[in-house]
Amino acid sequence: MRTPRGMEGPFAWGDATDRATGLDGLERLERRRVTQCALSRVCGVCAEPLGRPIAFVGDAREVGRNAFHAPPLHLDCARDLLAYPGADPGWQVITAGAYEFVRPGRDDTDRRPAFVPVALLGGSSGPQPTSTD
Amino acid sequence: MAISDVTEYLHLTEEEVEQIGRELDQIRQEVEDSRGAADAAYINRMIKVQRGLAAAGRATLLVGTQFRRTRVPAAVLGGGLLAVAKILENMEIGHNVMHGQWDWMNDPEIHSSNWEWDTAQPAEQWKHSHNYVHHQFTNVLGYDNDIGYGILRMAREQRWSPANLGQPLYNSLLALLFEWGVALHDLDIERIRKGEKDPREMKRQLGQIWRKGRNQVLKDYVVYPVLAGPRWRTVVAADLAANITRNLWSYVIIFCGHFPDGAVHFTEEEIEDETRAEWYLRQVLGAANFEGGPLLHVLSGNLGFQIEHHLFPDLPSNRYAEISERVRALCEKYDIPYTTGPLHRQYGQALRTILKLSVPNSWTSSDQPEPPTPSRDRRRRGDAERPSRRRELGGWSRSSSLARG
Repeated sequence: MRTPRGMEGPFAWGDATDRATGLDGLERLERRRVTQCALSRVCGVCAEPLGRPIAFVGDAREVGRNAFHAPPLHLDCARDLLAYPGADPGWQVITAGAYEFVRPGRDDTDRRPAFVPVALLGGSSGPQPTSTD
Repeated sequence: MAISDVTEYLHLTEEEVEQIGRELDQIRQEVEDSRGAADAAYINRMIKVQRGLAAAGRATLLVGTQFRRTRVPAAVLGGGLLAVAKILENMEIGHNVMHGQWDWMNDPEIHSSNWEWDTAQPAEQWKHSHNYVHHQFTNVLGYDNDIGYGILRMAREQRWSPANLGQPLYNSLLALLFEWGVALHDLDIERIRKGEKDPREMKRQLGQIWRKGRNQVLKDYVVYPVLAGPRWRTVVAADLAANITRNLWSYVIIFCGHFPDGAVHFTEEEIEDETRAEWYLRQVLGAANFEGGPLLHVLSGNLGFQIEHHLFPDLPSNRYAEISERVRALCEKYDIPYTTGPLHRQYGQALRTILKLSVPNSWTSSDQPEPPTPSRDRRRRGDAERPSRRRELGGWSRSSSLARG
């Protein structure tokens, strides 16, 4: 997986390992970095500028609601993320041409910002093997 | 402390703040639902016009300057066409495309991921310094580098130093060389000065700026002049004039967006844990509009609707005019300052701030009128209790009494 220089894990998740608990850190998105990805339009894994299509990963509920917590990604980075230790086996990838960044409202029980993909292009149901042959 | 505790909002109940948020959400939803072919036609037409102007300008300079009788008029006309083309490309097309305003079309060319604009700053750095830093931390002191671009003291809360005496000169240079000032924007001069900048990141960014700037210089001052043969000096002069014209125009428009009287500065504490509605409120109070006709708005990238742009930076710019009517009505309904005025007045106020803040605060008085003492109990106030807006200034004042020191 391509990560930013000096980082072992995906950008928006901070350090991929929670050093205090030894647990994988893919459950914990760093809010500031999520916002940075959203507005700077950079990938949540490698922090490089997004391309087309824009990919999102999320569980079935997020896919069903078309609202994702994880920031936009390159398609290749999204696929790599699904295969990363700690990744939710239920995660799926969808692709879109655009997205809206929705900040949490006062009454939202979930206080995380969300991404609403627009101009949906399609999706894939799970990790795809990356061949090195 | 939250944004809703800022003086200008204290007359609002928490429920009113949320209701404003809901009404702005509704405006956004309606524009998104109605976004379609007419909007796509608008941006395609704008790009076509811009490219036509650029081609006409280049052709006029290359051909018209070859003949003695047409040399001067061709230089003026060609340079003028090129200046307008650059202004359109930077303001109405590049800036807005890079915000993702047209991503919904899923057009492979008109997309935030691959648009590179006709100016020295690399698009990647612009999307960080502008889309993220400026739009997320709008007018937040110590965060938003657009407050004076790291060169000018633009708020009374900022500490004065003798170097600020040179502000009138720095301001003139910034205006003339604006393209290059913007090019260096994401380097974050303040952090470099404090030794906090990662040298490797700085090197990477400088490399990007060098390559982009070199290409801009090669295009305008080498390739096109060479094509003009013996008249290369005329083409260099016309290209330089076009770039300076674009620089001056961009500078004026951008400075009118956040520095006229009424645009409020915030502190870090005020943006902590803000909700979507509170974020909306901060955008309204931190930005300033200017008035004008459709041509002025197109040439300024619709940034005369700076408030609407900050509320909805990724909605298509051609819709800001209609959105502004609803936002203004909403502000009047809830007695929220909506700062606007003619372009010359807005820029005049920004320029006056630059000049006044070049000297210590004690030498000058603030031009921001004292806000009426608001209720702090957050109860709903009747019309008679609510202070009236200072319409002669197009808005209220800054929030912090420290700003008037």
